[in-house]
Amino acid sequence: MKKQSKWMVGLVCLFAGFMVAVQFQTTAGEPEIRDTRDEWEVREALVKQQDVQQELLQKISEADQTIENYEEKSSAEQVAALKKSIEKLEKKVGLTEVEGEGVSIEISAIFIENIEGVQAYPAVTPQLLSRLLNELNTFGADEISIGNERITSLSPVRDVNGSTYVNNRPFPPLPVQIKVLTDQPEKLRDYIHASQSKEIFNIENLDLQAEVKEELTLPKYDDPLHLKIFKEIGE
Amino acid sequence: MWLPLLFLIIGLALGFLSDIQIPDAYSNYLSIAVLAAFDTLFGGIRAQLEKNFDDIVFITGFFFNVSLAAVLAFIGVQLGVDLYLAAVFAFGIRLFQNLAIIRRLIIDQKLLIKIRKK
Repeated sequence: MKKQSKWMVGLVCLFAGFMVAVQFQTTAGEPEIRDTRDEWEVREALVKQQDVQQELLQKISEADQTIENYEEKSSAEQVAALKKSIEKLEKKVGLTEVEGEGVSIEISAIFIENIEGVQAYPAVTPQLLSRLLNELNTFGADEISIGNERITSLSPVRDVNGSTYVNNRPFPPLPVQIKVLTDQPEKLRDYIHASQSKEIFNIENLDLQAEVKEELTLPKYDDPLHLKIFKEIGE
Repeated sequence: MWLPLLFLIIGLALGFLSDIQIPDAYSNYLSIAVLAAFDTLFGGIRAQLEKNFDDIVFITGFFFNVSLAAVLAFIGVQLGVDLYLAAVFAFGIRLFQNLAIIRRLIIDQKLLIKIRKK
């Protein structure tokens, strides 16, 4: 073999080696995901998991209790137990009226004496409303109703031809009362007064006023529930 | 014999030491380029054993194959067809063929030497 061709083969080998090394690094050099939690964080995670376990155990024992009630008691009592379960579930879903202490929020329009032009009457968009609902749920709301509409876990907040619909009924004209039941009404009110929602509502010329009420009655959800898309999640 | 090996090791060392990582999107191109390089190398060894090695054919073959494979992969990405598989397939088959021929040539040479010794 000539000397020149030796060098050429060497050059190609150099290229090949380099490419193989880079390829190898690309495929094998993916960073491993390391557990960087310190002892304290691990402990917190453990406590969290224990809480979850506790909750699950409690649920299991409640369910066991219900099963026992069904099995042990006479047929009349069985019916009573069934009815009790149904009532409990209906209350949970929002098919019954509920009373309790909570916060009443009023959404009203802010009118500023405008210098020029006519100010449009502000409207509550679905985005604003969903955001408010999300924030209320984060702040610890148990039950919510908007106007006369009880919010269940299936309640839609939609834009229909430019107007806002809650529970497939049009959103009533302002001012609107939102009633929220919660264990800690004062805290919820303070949260709302300091919330981002309030700022965003203000930008849209809407005002949020929250006040604590000792006695609030939330209407029931009285449309049939559409459960077509429900599925068993297995045992 | 030692020069290509030395260069191969230098290339590997360079690659490992430089700590380069190709983004995921381009790893196809690199893998195909590696295959093309190996194909050319084994083709070169075979040609050397068959005594018809030509360095112009060798070096142009290397660059042409690598770029053709890359272009094919690129067109494949644009068309949404995994065209780079065609290149992988072709190079794979040629690699095996070349290796088989190299093996036979080496065996033949050894047999010839043995026969001559007798």
